[in-house]
Amino acid sequence: MKTTAGAVDALHPRPRRLNPPGLSESWRRRLPLLPALLVMILLTQVPFVMSIYYSLTDWHVVPPGPRAWVGLHNYGTLFSDSFFRSAVWVSVRLTVIPVIFSLLLGTAFAVLLDRKFFGRGLIRTLLITPFLLMPVVVGLIWKNQMFNDLYGVINWVIGKLGGTPLDFVSRYPTWAIAVTLIWQWTPCRMLTMLAGLQGQPQDVLEAAKVDGASAWGTFRQLTVPHLRPYGELGILLGTIYLIQVYDLVAVMTGGGPGSTNVPYFVFQRSIGGGWEFGQASAYSIVVVIASIIIATLSLRLLSGLLKGEEVA
Amino acid sequence: MRRRFGSGMAAAVLVVAGLIAAGCGGGGSNSNSKSINVAIVDNPQMKDIAQLTPSLFTKQTGIKVNYTVLDEGTLRQVTTRDVAAGGRQFDVVMIGPYEAPQFGKDGTLVDLTQMAKSDSAYKYGDIIPAVRNALSTDGKLYAAPFYGESSFLMYRKDVLQKAGVTMPLHPTWDQVAAIARKVNSSKMAGICLRGKPGWGDLGASLTTVLNTFGATWWSAGANGSVGQAQVNTPAFRNALQFYVNLIHDAGEKDAANSSFNECLTQYTDGKVAMWYDATVAASNLEASNSPVKGKNGYAFAPVEKTKSSGWLWSWALAIPKTSGKQNQAWKYISFATGPQYLKEAGSRISGGWAAIPPGTRNSTYKIPQYAKAAAAFAKPTLEAIAAAPITDPGTTPRPGLPGVQYVGIPQFQDVGNQCTQQFSAVIAGRGSIDSALKNCQSIASQVKG
Repeated sequence: MKTTAGAVDALHPRPRRLNPPGLSESWRRRLPLLPALLVMILLTQVPFVMSIYYSLTDWHVVPPGPRAWVGLHNYGTLFSDSFFRSAVWVSVRLTVIPVIFSLLLGTAFAVLLDRKFFGRGLIRTLLITPFLLMPVVVGLIWKNQMFNDLYGVINWVIGKLGGTPLDFVSRYPTWAIAVTLIWQWTPCRMLTMLAGLQGQPQDVLEAAKVDGASAWGTFRQLTVPHLRPYGELGILLGTIYLIQVYDLVAVMTGGGPGSTNVPYFVFQRSIGGGWEFGQASAYSIVVVIASIIIATLSLRLLSGLLKGEEVA
Repeated sequence: MRRRFGSGMAAAVLVVAGLIAAGCGGGGSNSNSKSINVAIVDNPQMKDIAQLTPSLFTKQTGIKVNYTVLDEGTLRQVTTRDVAAGGRQFDVVMIGPYEAPQFGKDGTLVDLTQMAKSDSAYKYGDIIPAVRNALSTDGKLYAAPFYGESSFLMYRKDVLQKAGVTMPLHPTWDQVAAIARKVNSSKMAGICLRGKPGWGDLGASLTTVLNTFGATWWSAGANGSVGQAQVNTPAFRNALQFYVNLIHDAGEKDAANSSFNECLTQYTDGKVAMWYDATVAASNLEASNSPVKGKNGYAFAPVEKTKSSGWLWSWALAIPKTSGKQNQAWKYISFATGPQYLKEAGSRISGGWAAIPPGTRNSTYKIPQYAKAAAAFAKPTLEAIAAAPITDPGTTPRPGLPGVQYVGIPQFQDVGNQCTQQFSAVIAGRGSIDSALKNCQSIASQVKG
């Protein structure tokens, strides 16, 4: 009897039973997610809280010493550290330059790929290839096969043209890394912009053509405004990725003035030879705060974008 | 709409924050009792032994060896984390004379002396004393040498002869610089010197020059403690200026990116006439497939104010105290660094007899096949190792433990890395010596005795 009643209940659930008072609709939906959230919190927030604690201590592994409480001392020295300040400046340049150039180049390639021509599929695949390579491989290719002044392609061309070879990586480390990043990230921007272009309503473009608008005028007044949200998205995602570039710096220069950015600096202060875990934790906390600021701005902009889409 | 987005954003931000801050990971342990984990550096000699281990060691003992092969910089990070910070990942780690006495003093390595002396097949007394002492402290051996090296000057006899100059057996840096400038041409640079940042790269070559020019990184306080940073002294400046000028006038191309491997390539390609680097390079220059085989002369490390200036290094195997398989680990070390392996490797490795690990045992130099294959460089190598001034490298007392191309204090790794980045930028033509020295002085001053 009981089982029958249960089966009937299961077949015809009464809404009242599953909706206990006090638990809102949204919480009922969230409830099954809580275990996953708990694991997530354990995996991410516990180390974060420990990092905050470490950042308030003087803890160096080599030479081994007791972990001493020093309060905010690590943060105080951070801002008077000229090496950290120059790392911040390198980080800014290594983010802004590639983001802007890869967006411009990506848009240009997307516009070219948006029209039909023979072999378009092949060209598109070739253009995407840089994005599919591992960053370490990209760094080694550019350092040894492109920039090297004895064996590099660029210097071979310069030599053929009668110029003097130049060791790009050692002379202009920031630009050498930036150029490599542009090469690597242009395909990603290209794909975003291509998606944007292909989502452009054809009837509007045709109407413009009928009205006798020039190609450039159509591009400037119709295509560019249409592509704007895609470009903004590209800039935001690019910034979030590029601010944490570490591999190219490690492979191409191994740090130094003009190429040590903040992630590489944190590495050097911790397991990269500094072994100052307390200090390094303080640096990484500062990076987290900076990232939160950027992420907040990004998400604000992003939500604005989404709203704009809804209105449109 | 706005609110919901806000809570989602907060969660996303927290997750991002956690991911960025999550730093240290734990080590793993191996449950298989008949296997050990070994971390080694990616030099040709180590790759040879990794290949020969299954047939020469595992077959006889039943102990499986899991190798982790890393480049020098990464190996240092891994071993320091594993040994000094108690990572418990490895049963045997490869370290050198910089680390062995420091870790040994800190009590994080197993004292090998007793095991080495009681193991009759190992022949403790056969190890070259200079190398053994460099890996010991207070008479206790903390790492067993796999290969040993000093530094010397390699030069193309044919090129110098054409230019009408001769290289003395014990040259001074002034003589070397004059010859380098004389033979330097647009096709072939005068000399290859390390310019790549890193305390083991540019730091090693430059420190031997600093030593013999009468400079030092730090003065020594009482009991060998670290005194004042000496980077802003005239002697340091002279030595650095000499090194940078020599590279600018007659150095290799792209010097700021060059270390051992880059110089080796340029030398064997005929792009440089001389090269100051590790003695172990000679086995590559005299290898049967080398384009410069038989064309090379070898001179002692150039000096200025000291009698000798060559460095002393050895890649050596040590057991972290955290390893639970110390007996098996010693069995492996005894095999890898014992005299038997040297004899067995010669006929089995691709490079032939000349490529067996040099500079660890006197008996190596009595193997007839090796004496023949290494005739050009065996004697200069042995003499350079014996002459390395490890306890008194410069003109003033040094702080910390003995060392030539480094200062035997834990902080040198960090200071050396950061300062050589500054100096490498000067070599590349970016920035002035003044600002590099000023920055380096402030870095070195942070070390307190």
